Amino acid sequence: MVKKILGLMIAVALMFSVFAGCSSTGGKNAASNQKAEDKGKVTASAVEEKKEEVKKEEVKKEEKKEPVKIKFMQNSANGGKEETLKSMIEDFQKKNPDVVVESEIVPWKDYFTKLNIVISSGSSAPDVFELGYENFGQYAAKGLLKELDEAIAKDKDFKPESIKKLAYDAYKFNGKQMGVCTDFSAVVLYYNKDLFDSKKVAYPQGNWTWKDELEAAKKLTDEGKGIWGSVSPLQAYEFYKTIAQNNGSIWGSDGKSVTVNSKECVDALQWMLDKSMKYKISPRFSSDIYTQPDADVNAFAAGKVAMLRTGIWNMVRFTKDAKFKWDIALEPGNTKPAHHFFSNGLVTSKDSKNVEAAWKFIKYMAIDPYVISQRIEKDWNVPVVNNDAIMTAYFKKTPPESKKVVTDTLDSLVLPPLGPIPDKWNEMTKILGDELDKAKFGKQSVQKSLDSAKEKIEKLVQK
Amino acid sequence: MIRYKKDLILKVMVHGILIITLFALIFPFIWMLFGAFKDANEVIQMPPKIFPSKFNLTNFSEIRSLFPVELFLFNSILVALVSTLLQMIFCAAAGYIFAKVSFKGRELLFTLYLITMMIPQQLIMITLYKVFVGMNLQNTYLGIILPGTYNALGIFLLRQHISTISDSFLEAGFMDGASHFRVFRQIILPLCKPALATLAILAFMGSWNAFLWPLIITSDTRLATLPLGLSKLQSRWTTSWNLLMAGNVVSFIPMLLVYIFAQRYFIKSISLSGVKG
Amino acid sequence: MVGESRLGKVYVIVIFLLPSLVGLVAFNVIPIIHSIYASLTEWDLITPAKFIGIENYLGIFQDENSVKGMINTFKFVGGYIPLALFLSLIFAALLDMKLRWIKLYRALFFVPVIISWVVVSLIWLWLFNSDTGLINYLLSMLGIQGPMWLQDESTAMLAVIIASLSKDLGYFTIILLSGLQGISDEYYESADIDGANAFQKFFKITIPCLTPILFFVLVILLITSLQVFDQVYVMTGGGPYGSTRTLVLEIYDNAFQLNKAGFACAQAWFLVIIIWIVTVSQNKLQKRWVHYDSI
Repeated sequence: MVKKILGLMIAVALMFSVFAGCSSTGGKNAASNQKAEDKGKVTASAVEEKKEEVKKEEVKKEEKKEPVKIKFMQNSANGGKEETLKSMIEDFQKKNPDVVVESEIVPWKDYFTKLNIVISSGSSAPDVFELGYENFGQYAAKGLLKELDEAIAKDKDFKPESIKKLAYDAYKFNGKQMGVCTDFSAVVLYYNKDLFDSKKVAYPQGNWTWKDELEAAKKLTDEGKGIWGSVSPLQAYEFYKTIAQNNGSIWGSDGKSVTVNSKECVDALQWMLDKSMKYKISPRFSSDIYTQPDADVNAFAAGKVAMLRTGIWNMVRFTKDAKFKWDIALEPGNTKPAHHFFSNGLVTSKDSKNVEAAWKFIKYMAIDPYVISQRIEKDWNVPVVNNDAIMTAYFKKTPPESKKVVTDTLDSLVLPPLGPIPDKWNEMTKILGDELDKAKFGKQSVQKSLDSAKEKIEKLVQK
Repeated sequence: MIRYKKDLILKVMVHGILIITLFALIFPFIWMLFGAFKDANEVIQMPPKIFPSKFNLTNFSEIRSLFPVELFLFNSILVALVSTLLQMIFCAAAGYIFAKVSFKGRELLFTLYLITMMIPQQLIMITLYKVFVGMNLQNTYLGIILPGTYNALGIFLLRQHISTISDSFLEAGFMDGASHFRVFRQIILPLCKPALATLAILAFMGSWNAFLWPLIITSDTRLATLPLGLSKLQSRWTTSWNLLMAGNVVSFIPMLLVYIFAQRYFIKSISLSGVKG
Repeated sequence: MVGESRLGKVYVIVIFLLPSLVGLVAFNVIPIIHSIYASLTEWDLITPAKFIGIENYLGIFQDENSVKGMINTFKFVGGYIPLALFLSLIFAALLDMKLRWIKLYRALFFVPVIISWVVVSLIWLWLFNSDTGLINYLLSMLGIQGPMWLQDESTAMLAVIIASLSKDLGYFTIILLSGLQGISDEYYESADIDGANAFQKFFKITIPCLTPILFFVLVILLITSLQVFDQVYVMTGGGPYGSTRTLVLEIYDNAFQLNKAGFACAQAWFLVIIIWIVTVSQNKLQKRWVHYDSI
């Protein structure tokens, strides 16, 4: 028995040596990376060592004030704006030498997976992180965010008026400011001027209605050449905006009852379908324009679509690739205009110990002139500041000529209709998406789809 | 002569079947390969063209301007190599015990190993992240590598292979006074080279393509592996398909080299059944 | 087993098993225990969990999505496993032949396994497109009106199975091939002396020798295909109308998108039980057909 135990102990000791072996490979990593450091790239471990050294030196010199470190997690820079964000943070640290920002960019698709896992571990939630309005609601409702009113009140330099009111107020929860909107994106109507000219059709105007759109599109459509008059996506996000253009809404005026199957909504969805199935100004829903990723944008860039509803993020693409004149306009509505508002805002985690530094950084990202000029110059999202001089710079960056349309959308924005269930937004869009698909492929009537959507959303509210 | 003719027909048929199947199977790959040289419009043009209108290398240089490809490649190779090596040692050792050394509770323990394969890994990561933060392993190479070194599938694979080795080999070894260690090293390991080569391929591939765990455990871009780099080519609204294909071609090459290298060990081991009459 | 003293044996067992045991306990048992606890709570990941007993488990059967997820998963498994097993066995046998260019064939066979689903999915979306896709074009040449594939709930899963097979076939073929390579030539040589023909050799030598690896492949196929996720996550997102939403996709969404991590854990354990039952019955059955050690 004793021998057995002895053997076990030896084994454990050996195991530790295996682990030591592992960590020595870790050491080797650091060593081999030292080479990378020569090229100007430093490994994490090397950084750590250096910081240690720096710390020691500081202690030696005198009790110097140590910079506050804040962790920052976001997603909107992923996919090409990484360097821009880096330069913003460098600029911030230059202006605020007492704060160090450790930033992390996570791809959109995995952002909430990582954010939630990090928060759930309890120890290392980021001090500042990014949330769109549609997700802000649930994090605020669950009490995960820090109230910023106090910090804002203390800050004499900051005036809430410097940010567009609607955008600023979107990040209020129960009357308390829980975050600040930094930028937004919108969806507009792109149109191919050359196609309009060749058919001698007047360009879309801000006061156009669906009827005007239909009349124009009928003239522009040329099936033989594969040219379509008007193309819009058909999914939950497009749906909640389109019903708003027909005075419909998912939630009743009391904010609780579900009115997704009202006549306004049914008519709006019918219109979305008719464009393809009845009027044939859009391609069939089974065609690749709808089934392939980015195919609608590609078709517009190739001159095959006269009018396209899509995001302002595609301007860069069309500026580069479109070999024809194009411009943007407000979306035609039926009874009233309505436009998407995809906001990004920064919030502070409730456990953050550096609220002051966090606030400084949030403010910087929202209104600092350098950040704003970078957002404009690099065609990132649109800033939300109330400053005509700055916005003029944005409008001047053409094409499109009518760039002011982008901020005009704010006058008729519809926020994602979270209703009484902000924490179930994803579930709701899933329900809507499935029902829309059924209507889209003729599995069931529009009325039946929306009836069943209503029933399912009501169940969500009760849960 | 007739026999020869029959063989020839058979061979031609086999070649035919293999070539047709292969063509169908690697069609997506061919399309990706050429896609790496197309521009943003051409790459998602409908209906697609297989060949690019002109071969340009700008996609590759553009990726390099977006993120440090060399550093990410280095990280990926380092992580995959260390992980593969450890997996081969650990799996062979455990596989040997489960195949050839019986003890009480062995089947139960093996069952436990199997269960770990049945849980969706995405859920495991929630707690695993907490464990690793507790060990202060976030943002380290070790943190990326360690969870992958436990490979129940690999242990199972090696167990199955070692089971096929006749006991008489081992007995002959023990008769000569060899220890388990020597039997393992000098008899077992050489005999399961094809299995080890297979494991090496699977382990390397697993580590090479790993995305979610490295994403969660690191926040420092300097530790990013290639799949994390490639995810930088997709934003919330847009995807640079041409760059994505170029990046995947870059990522594809090392994996293929490993495969070709490991394939050399797919040779029949001689006199496997030496003792058997 | 002949060999060393008992102490020697314990010592060997511990040393050989320890590395994987550490991984088992630290990287799996702790998270597994935690997920069992989490499955008994109402938990959204980001705020503290609330203990609710077995309510989540009872909820699985009342939840339309869970039931649908299960049915979809079984559909996938039912179509995928027999085809994967059958085809990979055939191709492993073909790739085991002594032919010219065989190394090239083997290398190319593995190519689809390496490419990422993200890229592959794009081409599959086009291949399956009902208007302009290649598959329906080929079908139309045969005079067949192709279905809408990914837009039709009756064919979407079939499309996913076809795409998965084309990508995974190399994986299982290679594993089986390594098993075939492990079979000694001497068996065949002695069979040649006995005058056996190719079929006799295949069924009397190849298959019996291969059974441990076949068993392995079957178990792995069951375990992995019951957890099918990547292809549906990337290619269909579960659509149309949830007809390709598999159980693991459901679990993933519940845990990370829909704030129902506790329920997702319960679903995961329910899945484990299903896989467990299947695996155990496999294990029972293996005694009838798997030959270890010798033929």
